[in-house]
This record gives sequence, C-alpha cells and structure tokens, in this order.
Amino acid sequence: MNRTVLIIGIIIVAVIVFVLFAGLGKDPQHIDSPLIGKPAPPFTLKAVNTGQTIDLQSLRGKPVIVNFWATWCVPCYEEHPTLVANARQLPDVQFVGVVFNDTEDKINQFLAARGSAYPTLLDANGKTAIAYGVGGVPETYFINPSGIIVAKFEGPMDSDILRANLAKALQ
Amino acid sequence: MIATFFLLALLQIKAPDAAQFVGEPKGIPLSGPRLEEQTMVISHELRCPVCQGLAIGDSPSIMAANMKAQVRELLERGYTEEQILSYFEKSYGQFVLLKPKFQGVNTLVWILPIAVLAIGFVLVVSKAKKLEVAPAPVVVEEPVDDPYLAQVREMVEKP
Repeated sequence: MNRTVLIIGIIIVAVIVFVLFAGLGKDPQHIDSPLIGKPAPPFTLKAVNTGQTIDLQSLRGKPVIVNFWATWCVPCYEEHPTLVANARQLPDVQFVGVVFNDTEDKINQFLAARGSAYPTLLDANGKTAIAYGVGGVPETYFINPSGIIVAKFEGPMDSDILRANLAKALQ
Repeated sequence: MIATFFLLALLQIKAPDAAQFVGEPKGIPLSGPRLEEQTMVISHELRCPVCQGLAIGDSPSIMAANMKAQVRELLERGYTEEQILSYFEKSYGQFVLLKPKFQGVNTLVWILPIAVLAIGFVLVVSKAKKLEVAPAPVVVEEPVDDPYLAQVREMVEKP
C-alpha cells in the first residue's frame, strides 16, 4: 500500500514539475493569434496626420504593416524611429499606424515631435484593436498582398525583427 | 454644412464588425436591467488580455473597459452569449475564455480533478474497509503457573 501511494505521489509531482518546467521562459502575456493565416479584419479609419480615410481593403496588392500603438505607451517611443525609417526605405510596403485610447491632439504632438512617414489612424473605441486581438501596445501585424495576416509581433521592433516578419508577407 | 461634412466623415469610418466574424445576431436585442445583468455575466467569462487572470468585468484597464463596452453593444444588437464569446475567441483565441472549452487538451482540465478525486475516494474507501474487516487480535490466555497469582485468586474467590 505504501509503495502504491509513493508511486502515485511521484507521478503527480512529476506531472506538476513537467508543466511548470514547460512554462519556464514563456511570456505570460503572449497570445498566440488565431488570425494568422486568416484574412485581416477590414476597417476604414481616418488618418489624424493626413486627414485621409484609409480603407484596408483598398491596400490589397502590396504588403501592409499595421502597427497598434499609443502616445502613453513608453516602448512605442522606442519603436517609432524604426517604423519611420523603414517606411521611408520601403515605398512598396504600406505602413499603417493604428492608435487606440488616445486623442488627436496628443497623436499630432507626438508625430510633430518625432516625425511621420505613413498614415496614423485613430481607433476611437478600440474596436479595431479588439478585432485584431491586440493584448497590449505596441503590437504589429504583417499582411500579405492578398490581405492575409502572416505574422504578428508583440512589443517594440527593431529593423531586423521588422524585416524578418515582412519577409513572410513577401513570400 | 460643417455638420454634414463631419457626419459624412463619420459615416465613412468603419471599424471591423462582429457580423464579419459570427454573422448576424441570433438573439433578441436586450435593454434596461436585463442588458446590464447579461453584460456583467459575459464580462466575467472573458479574460482581460492585459491583466493577470482577471475578467474584463473586474479589470480597471482601458482595454477591458473597451471590451466590456463592446459586449454591451453586441447584446443591444441582439447577439447571443455564444456568438459574443465566439467573436472574442476568433480574435484572441481560447486564451480569452475564462472557462476553457471541453475539447482537445482542455478536456484534461475538466477530467483530471474529477479523476484524482475519484482515485482518492477509492483509496480511502478500500483502506477503511481493510481496517473494518481486519480481525481483532486474539489474546490467548496461557495458563500461568505463578504462585503469587494463585494466592491472589484464592484470596479473591474466598467467600
């Protein structure tokens, strides 16, 4: 009897240790997007910096990088120069910024101070962010010319990360 | 004129809609206390993506507030609880559901606690039965050839 109890105990502890060990090093905030490989949710939003209205579906035919950000997000300050520089270097790629839970004034102040190279859209009620499954900012979605989401990156990107994910959209 | 311009601009703005994910509403549009009650129920079934294990109904974050507002709006439009949960699941995956679905690996989450409880119950019952059935130790009185004891017995038995 004692031997049986010991074996059962060891099995239970081994399973718990395995589960905990498997979770080591994983970001608890990371969300695997079910949208990868699916059509990007369509939206039509107004750009605060250019005044134009951008319809995502009208951008079909070229890769699109949709970057969710906000002026109250510190890592977004870090990422912004990378996005602006790459948008200037890659004219065949459409960069789109989507800002949620923010105001036009703050966005325009941010862009005036730090530069702008692509339309920045205001997602006033956060519906676009929710449809894309955004869990925090910055978060970036890479859409191929057919309108399919091919990659998602959580957190601030450097040029290497951006280009590596963009390559998936160009395949 | 200016108002018309802004109205036209607003009409052009279109965020992704639940209908694109889960089709047209299948329920009855809710309002009043029933709407508030159902909003709270569903808000406690959805996980806040920017918090640690909090439901959107309990989270003070802006993201949770936006999600809760959307739940409310979808109920007002007549979406059912199942459709609303499915809409959020299509965007965030099963991560967003606080109650995991009974399918795939998730099945273990439902079955394992019951299985462990059942095994424990069987072990306790079998152990208890053994204790119950075990015969009481029989004490065999051996004849004692002790003169002192014989003397005591004689004194006790004497009228």
